[in-house]
Amino acid sequence: MFLTLKELRHEKIKFSALSLIIFLIVFLVLFITGLANGLANDSGSAIKETPAQTFILQKGSQSRLNRSNLTNSDWDKFKSSNAAKLSVTQATIQKAANKDKKTDIAYFITDKNSFLAPKNQSGEKIYASSKLQASGYKVGDKFKDSNTNKTFTIAGFTDKESYSHSPVIYLTFKQAQGITMSNSFNAIALKKNLTKKSGYQVITKQNLIDNIPGYSAEQSSLYLMIGFLYVISLFVLAVFFYIINLQKMKDFGTLKALGTKTSYLVKHVLSEMGILSGVAIILASLVTYFIQLKMPASMPFSLSFSTLLATGILFLVIALLSALLSLIKVIKVDPINAIGGNN
Amino acid sequence: MPVLELKNIIKNYPDGQNVNEVLKEINFHVNQGEFAAIVGPSGAGKSTLLTIMGALLSPTSGSVLLNNQDIGQLSKKQQTDIRLNKIGFIFQNSDLIPYLKISDQLKFIQKISNKNPIDSDKILKELGLGHRLNSYPNALSGGEKQRVAIARAFINQPDLILADEPTASLDSKRGHEVVKIIQETVHQQNKAAVMVTHDERVLDLVDSIWQIEDGRLKRVKA
Repeated sequence: MFLTLKELRHEKIKFSALSLIIFLIVFLVLFITGLANGLANDSGSAIKETPAQTFILQKGSQSRLNRSNLTNSDWDKFKSSNAAKLSVTQATIQKAANKDKKTDIAYFITDKNSFLAPKNQSGEKIYASSKLQASGYKVGDKFKDSNTNKTFTIAGFTDKESYSHSPVIYLTFKQAQGITMSNSFNAIALKKNLTKKSGYQVITKQNLIDNIPGYSAEQSSLYLMIGFLYVISLFVLAVFFYIINLQKMKDFGTLKALGTKTSYLVKHVLSEMGILSGVAIILASLVTYFIQLKMPASMPFSLSFSTLLATGILFLVIALLSALLSLIKVIKVDPINAIGGNN
Repeated sequence: MPVLELKNIIKNYPDGQNVNEVLKEINFHVNQGEFAAIVGPSGAGKSTLLTIMGALLSPTSGSVLLNNQDIGQLSKKQQTDIRLNKIGFIFQNSDLIPYLKISDQLKFIQKISNKNPIDSDKILKELGLGHRLNSYPNALSGGEKQRVAIARAFINQPDLILADEPTASLDSKRGHEVVKIIQETVHQQNKAAVMVTHDERVLDLVDSIWQIEDGRLKRVKA
């Protein structure tokens, strides 16, 4: 550490530049990760946040809710307090007073008091996800379904659930009469794990989310970018760090000739890289955190502390891996080069 | 009793199909309080001999006795330990660490060694470097750098001092001053020292002179 701190202090500009590169890459990785998580939530949080583990769909529906159609005779086979019927319909609503401003939403239709339903559903009063507030709706507001002209009153907001980038409005089958076909629904949600049931397609919650239209396309392209950023940073940092250390090979030879152990120099190189990337990662995390606070609601962005921590640790590992090339060089330096003066 | 004694040292290097014999049957010794010089033309094996004395290179055969301990065939790790605790080096271009301040150059050696540290700043002051303690090496003149290197070589109280052409980058006046400092410190602290040089103008300061030619060493002044 003695050498490391002295060197960082002496070569401020060189090491600040390296730290800046790490900062920029980490910031970009965190930003895209936040965006990917935000979009994932925006796409499937209404499904993800439920206690359901397994979804029963009609056979041949290819894991897509909207392609599945079940009836009450199917329900009789699964009926229990740990099962719930679910119908999802994407529709458009408008304020009763203002016909020009329409909002796309997703109806989540379940039985009253099922584990998928918000509490206290009754009459014309409904609950909607708080994401609807961004479109100017408040508690007590009336809205009507654009297709059927059915009118509802907002009794309250739940969390930020969202389905396929639309806010969710929770209805009971009774409330939904006229909006969807009666006596049929899309899926049965189960709280327990189930892998097979003949005559049905049985899928996990994550599988269902993956098949929400657009979800996989968004996620895979963003994670491809993140993956590439990790690989790119591994190489960029390795090259930068290698060049910086290459300039110091003569010093390493002298230090070894003076009796410095190779293990001491290895620790020196690793702690140098560790400190530089540590500072960069902390700064990038702070900046990302403050940007998250200022992000408009229309831009989905979500970065949990655990994701932040995991990204930071992963990046530290990448940075230390990138020091590997330099370490080999440092280990190989022969102290004999210090004698003879021809270096 | 000699501090360093070389017995029948041979060093061969493979040279294509042939074997290049760089050092042939070398015998050498230096006593406590003695300042020895090894002179010879370039390519005669001076540097190779110094690296063997300094536990940087193992001889092909023969023994290198430092305080009666054979350091010729030690592992790399043991050699490193010997260099740190028993030997002080003065290199041709002083080879100071560019990012360490002058006082830290010495403190670093004390840091990696287990020996009880002595007052390093006091030693630098005695060598006339008191005003340079907080400077980096690039601010120093060649003579000043070499004086720091001398202080660094002595700081860990080694038994043996090895100097590799310490005057090479200095003019004759400065070179003479630097070697005079080495001589005085060696005598004061009663150390053994070996200097490899081709600078004959400093030979008036040494106690014994050895000449190396074509890999053979002979004593020319006792």
